[in-house]
Amino acid sequence: MARFLLRRLLHGLAVLWVVVTLTFILMHVTPGGPFDRERRLPPEVLANIAAKYHLDEPLLKQYARYLQAILRGDLGPSYKYIDRNVSDIVIDTLPVSALLGILALLFALAFSFPVGIGAAYYHNSWIDRWCLLFATLGISLPHFILGALLIWLFSLQLGWFQAGRWENLASVVLPTITLGAAPAAYLSYLLRSTLLETLGEDFIRTARAKGLKEIAVLLKHALNNSLIPTLTVLGPLAAALITGSFVVEYIFALPGMGRFFITAVTDRDYPLIMGVTLVYTVLLVCANLAVDLLYSFVDPRIKSR
Amino acid sequence: MPATLTKTSIRRALFVLALLFLSSCNPFSQSNSQKVFRVNLGTEPPSLDWSLATDHVSFNVIANLMVGLTEFDKNLKPAPVIASSWDILEGGKRIVFHLRDDVAWSDGQKVRAQDFEYSWKRLLNPKTASEYAYILFDILNAEEYHEGKTTDEELVGVKSRDDRTLEVKLKHPASYFLSITTFEVTYPQRQDMVEKFGSKWTEPDNIVTNGPFLLASWKHENEIRLKANPGFFLGKPAIEKVDMFMINEKTTALAMYEQGQLDFLDNHSIPILEKPRLAKAPGFQKVPQLRGYYYGFVTDRKPFNDVRVRKAFSMAIDRTVFPKILHGGEQPASSWIPPGMPAHNPRIGLTYNPPEARRLLREAGYPDGKGFPQITLGYNTDEDHKIVAEAVQGMWKRNLGVLARLENQEWKVYLKKLQTDPPDVFRLGWGADYPDPDNFMKLFTALSGNNNTRWKNPRYDQLLELAAGEFGEKKRAKLYDEAQKILCETDLPIVPLFTTAESTVLSPRYTGLEYSSMGRLILRNVRLKESNQFPAPAARGRD
Repeated sequence: MARFLLRRLLHGLAVLWVVVTLTFILMHVTPGGPFDRERRLPPEVLANIAAKYHLDEPLLKQYARYLQAILRGDLGPSYKYIDRNVSDIVIDTLPVSALLGILALLFALAFSFPVGIGAAYYHNSWIDRWCLLFATLGISLPHFILGALLIWLFSLQLGWFQAGRWENLASVVLPTITLGAAPAAYLSYLLRSTLLETLGEDFIRTARAKGLKEIAVLLKHALNNSLIPTLTVLGPLAAALITGSFVVEYIFALPGMGRFFITAVTDRDYPLIMGVTLVYTVLLVCANLAVDLLYSFVDPRIKSR
Repeated sequence: MPATLTKTSIRRALFVLALLFLSSCNPFSQSNSQKVFRVNLGTEPPSLDWSLATDHVSFNVIANLMVGLTEFDKNLKPAPVIASSWDILEGGKRIVFHLRDDVAWSDGQKVRAQDFEYSWKRLLNPKTASEYAYILFDILNAEEYHEGKTTDEELVGVKSRDDRTLEVKLKHPASYFLSITTFEVTYPQRQDMVEKFGSKWTEPDNIVTNGPFLLASWKHENEIRLKANPGFFLGKPAIEKVDMFMINEKTTALAMYEQGQLDFLDNHSIPILEKPRLAKAPGFQKVPQLRGYYYGFVTDRKPFNDVRVRKAFSMAIDRTVFPKILHGGEQPASSWIPPGMPAHNPRIGLTYNPPEARRLLREAGYPDGKGFPQITLGYNTDEDHKIVAEAVQGMWKRNLGVLARLENQEWKVYLKKLQTDPPDVFRLGWGADYPDPDNFMKLFTALSGNNNTRWKNPRYDQLLELAAGEFGEKKRAKLYDEAQKILCETDLPIVPLFTTAESTVLSPRYTGLEYSSMGRLILRNVRLKESNQFPAPAARGRD
């Protein structure tokens, strides 16, 4: 196990290096710079700004400087939010995105397991068809439509929740549903189809022949053997949900990190682009590692391999 | 897996969730007290350091925390604030400001002339790397200091003679310099605080200010809270607290206004399609802005190197169309200096005249647009710019027989393209930093970095220099008239299209809010109406 963990850790570090390098190259070849303005700055002013942020140095030197800084845990200053470091921004915003992401994930799991199992159990019945309809709706409704619908219904018409902002427990309800709807639908769909596939296997026939109740066959034998595909998608899904969603944070005015995946690029805020990409990659690597470890609990054959 | 382990894991997970929630939620819950005035900033202010701020969101907060030497009055002329008076000496090359002695910082210390000297030199210091350093380049040796040609800040022409006297030496007479002192970047700063806290000096626990409000808290990306400054020398504001939210999405902001959770929305918080409905609501107004919207021609290549072609394209545009298609209170403009600013003259500029436009195009060798090369009209990606570009494209096709190709690009890509390979016709705008025509007209001088037209005219540059040194209002206006005629009638490197306006809506429960023609939100006179007879916004929002 220790060798496995070490190998995955080294693999993760290599992934991080590749992502950092590619992001660094891509953001510098994209036209437009962080200090291009409608009112163009005089050359002497631009020169001082470039000197302050070391943008006047050769790209290779800037790259080396950045790598050294992240090894020290320094993500650099934001070019847009002038008085703040990228680390400050991540520390301020990641907890919001993480909480929302975890709640959305819990919502997705709480929704998808009963729906997926129900749909598989009552295969081809009206229950299955309704579950499929909800799953299709959840997958195909974009965040901005669902968010706007929820605001219209629950804030403007019923007045149950406020339309936006991050203040109290009630303010997380609508964003959680909006963010969790698509994963819930997708996971339901995935669980239903893998369950149906498993239910056709020989060992299920054997279990039934032994006289086990259908519910026991489903929950004890079929479900355990259908979890691998769900676990596989849970890793990247968790990383994506925890690092925030631009659209959901934008619609509900939440102070999360998701918005910076877009705004940092449009602002050409190089350190912030690198910072949020780095955080996302680290979480993705960790989530995939966690999934690998979970595999061994679900299926001991994987552990032995 | 043992059951106890599962329970422990669940407990731990819940504990982590609770910690996450506590660390991410606002510690103070929303107060609905009528003493709290709530506005939407739209986004996080990039900086509350007025030497480094560059955007309207930051300046809207700073303008309520601080005051400077002067502020512009209702006629957009500099009026005394901390400066009780000033002397203009040596033909305008030396200005001596006399400061009031009753203005205090929030920690009780008096505001002194040294605070201005420090702030201005900090703005110019190359290490500060301020984007607005150039605003003070009229000061003697300021540009040299910023460029690093001199490192001796004593040579810079700003000096406090004593606590109450600030002397400014300019390198040339500049009649607009007083207007510059209305700009937030020239507000005073406390050297001891800036040096003590470094880049964190603007955080609520560190900052000292001198304006009507104090910075009570700043929850990044979420909310800023201001509280009334009891020591403000012009009197404590009537409103005890101001909550400034950071809601990007316009429909969410409007929904919160209609739920009674916001008391004021500006243009950045009102969806375009909702403006006609909101226009009927009490408290709605359209505030004309000192912001011009224009199309520029690249004048050093065919076909727009021919002034007759430029004139034809200008005269083929019916500017009265724009307010009808944009619904934002735009004012059609054929001259460049916007209404409300000194030296504005609506009689200057070429007006809509399709027959004359066709004649000019024919004279230039393109009868009915025949043989006219393919041209590109560029704009940055935005729904309003697209609407304008399509309208202009239609007018040029109808009136001149020329079909322009529209090309839109993301903002930063577009700006880079303007510097390297601009489209034949391009869109840009300009908003006033300070309310003086110099700020608008300087854009198109030969050496201006903002002149993307590649046009130059020595007489135009000379007129601007003469106007800068002229202190007589009428004479100055005449000089700007002549310069505007070159810009908008004879040489025509640009086509002014309209000046913009901002839609705002204020809850009927409040009065006294000022929204300036430069987009500044001034809250110090906001107060509850005495007889609170109006319904909450939520009640009228869905009528």
